[in-house]
Amino acid sequence: MNRPLLGALCAVMTGMALTACSNTSGMSGDGSVLRVASNSSEKISLDAAVAAFEKANPGIDVQTTYADTDPYLSTLRTQLSAGTGPDVFYAFPGNGNAGSIQVLAPAGYLADLSSRSWTANIPDSVKTVTQVDGKQYVLPVTFTGIGAVYNKKALQEVGVSEPTTWSQVLDLCDKAKAEGGYAFALGNQTPWVTQLIDYALVATLVHGEGSTFDADLAAGRATFAGSGWHKAMEQYLEMNERGCFSKDPLGTPVETALKQVGQGEAVAAVQVLATAGQIKDAAPEGTEFGMFPLPATDDAQETRMPGAVGASYAANAKAANAEAAGKFLDFLAQPQNTNDYAAKSNSAPAIPNDAFAPDPAFKALLEHQKAGRTVPFMDQLWPNPKVQQAHLSGVQDLFSGESEPRDVLAEMDEAYKND
Amino acid sequence: MAHAPEAAAVTRPPVRPGPERPFPRRRRTTRYGPLRSVSWWFLLPALALYLYVVLAPSLRGAGYAFTDWTGLGSQVSFTGLENFRKVLDDPAARDALWQTLLITVVITVAQNAIGLLLALGVDSRIRSRNLLRVLFFAPAVMTPVVTAYLWRYMYAPEGAFNTALETLGLGSLTQNWLGDPDLALWSVAAVVIWQFSGYSMVIFLAGLQSVPRELHEAAGVDGAGSFQRFWHITRPLLAPATTINLMLSMIGGFKLFDQVYVTTGGGPGHATETLSTLIYKNAFQFDEYAYSTALAVLLAIVVAAVSAGQYRGLQRQKGMS
Repeated sequence: MNRPLLGALCAVMTGMALTACSNTSGMSGDGSVLRVASNSSEKISLDAAVAAFEKANPGIDVQTTYADTDPYLSTLRTQLSAGTGPDVFYAFPGNGNAGSIQVLAPAGYLADLSSRSWTANIPDSVKTVTQVDGKQYVLPVTFTGIGAVYNKKALQEVGVSEPTTWSQVLDLCDKAKAEGGYAFALGNQTPWVTQLIDYALVATLVHGEGSTFDADLAAGRATFAGSGWHKAMEQYLEMNERGCFSKDPLGTPVETALKQVGQGEAVAAVQVLATAGQIKDAAPEGTEFGMFPLPATDDAQETRMPGAVGASYAANAKAANAEAAGKFLDFLAQPQNTNDYAAKSNSAPAIPNDAFAPDPAFKALLEHQKAGRTVPFMDQLWPNPKVQQAHLSGVQDLFSGESEPRDVLAEMDEAYKND
Repeated sequence: MAHAPEAAAVTRPPVRPGPERPFPRRRRTTRYGPLRSVSWWFLLPALALYLYVVLAPSLRGAGYAFTDWTGLGSQVSFTGLENFRKVLDDPAARDALWQTLLITVVITVAQNAIGLLLALGVDSRIRSRNLLRVLFFAPAVMTPVVTAYLWRYMYAPEGAFNTALETLGLGSLTQNWLGDPDLALWSVAAVVIWQFSGYSMVIFLAGLQSVPRELHEAAGVDGAGSFQRFWHITRPLLAPATTINLMLSMIGGFKLFDQVYVTTGGGPGHATETLSTLIYKNAFQFDEYAYSTALAVLLAIVVAAVSAGQYRGLQRQKGMS
């Protein structure tokens, strides 16, 4: 083969290779496909909602993907910055997380949903964590809580009723241990799980009646180290020393802990209520469950419960199928669909409506919500994701004896100030 | 300046008289001349693809190390060496570097020692050697994430290891394999060593099969024992395989991510944090993409420097032997 011809051939091949590489859109652009991404904990509820949506909109094929929080965040952020993000995706309300709306909206990745009809029904308390600069960026679907999801049969076998004071919590621990079991399953190997008991305790110890802690913290008038957070961490460690938790929490992943409650090896797990579905999946047929807020003091009237907007869905500002994305959010915002979603995730609808009939087992959340005894998830009001990360690794250090509460709280203060 | 033909005439060596060749000498075109340039043309597509898919994005990505980009949005400001200065002041980065070095050394040594022993074992004439070769190599073809998940469950407090120990009456030896900060790093290292010792074995095995049997027979006739034959014949001739194995396992150790991320996520606390997991966390959890890129650039430099040093050292050793 002569040289000019060979050169021309190589140039053509190179061009073809580069042309093939340049097709990086990765988006179908097909009007009949809607791509939706969410957190694994939402799978049961979202799958049902998607099935109902597809039935009501036969021309639209919804493709869902799920991942646990950490991989979900990395995938979502990469896809968004590469312009290949899903049309609709789970976004975290407020701030304090790498996938929260306060992080994503200023970067221009969230579509402004302010003109949607359902925004008029959103309560003001919900708007504060679902809006940025007065614009609505997510559809809040559920109002969820953090409480002790328990196996009724296991609690009965221990011979106690739902604890309403801190002393009763410790009593439950002692009696469960005496019966050869555990009061609380704890999967602290999974980082996000480590924060839940602290959140449940500080709801009462820090964010009680008339608390201005969040505002004081933001203004520099308060610190984590100088607040009830210290007592909460000490109580967390007291529970550990007392034998409240399942064996070796730091070596136990969350899936194992949830299974322990489902199968009655542990009485309860302090969890986000959306995970109750996974606990039920691991339980024998007919097992009944309940939920109680974790008391932190001996005065039952003081008990508060972390309760906040849970599942929230945003539309991609550069959605390949913006029309279907809007249609899907409007569908999800309809009271019946929101109620179905909330019921499946053992939570309440974030946009309240009279048609919602809560599962009696989880009615405590609604009662607390109505009585104004819920406080937002703490990280939703933190200024950056590092505070939460300092908390998560700090609790693991507490459990391994590598740190003291004051060290962990000092790190959280440092992370908070370094915004 | 001399005209080219004139210059050629000046530098051409004098022709020595000699017997006439029966056939004219063929022009050496395999190493020089037209074919050499043709081979470059053949390289071009692959080179262009590599440049476009690997090199250019990597260099562009490395550029973010000199900015304050968070990983989202289009706001980017040039910050010079600020991120690199921050690395030096970051105790988390120092701890991660130290732990990365520790786990790399342990993995490199153990994986290759076990790989060599396995290779020597399956290079013998035992009847089941082919089956054993497949069995030992099998873990290496599995996805690291999958094996890491399996090990995570085996390491659980009531998982396979502790249950087996209790069944054998060795309950006192049960451990919190992934939850004990003093043990977790080594538990993760064990996963990697288990998975890739078979890989090292295959490379050693290829090296062993290229060692001439006659050398062993001759040494045996001269009265050399098994160890002497291994030390003076097998070991030096395995140098190329050893070089490849050490480099691959060391680079793998430095880049270790999947197994750490799945089994411990870098915890408990930061006890198993490696540079790779720290890079990941900064990029996707802390909103510090530019800083994570600076860490990645430093990791690349460390890996390149250590690999080059190791390669030169091993080459020198090979030359001496």
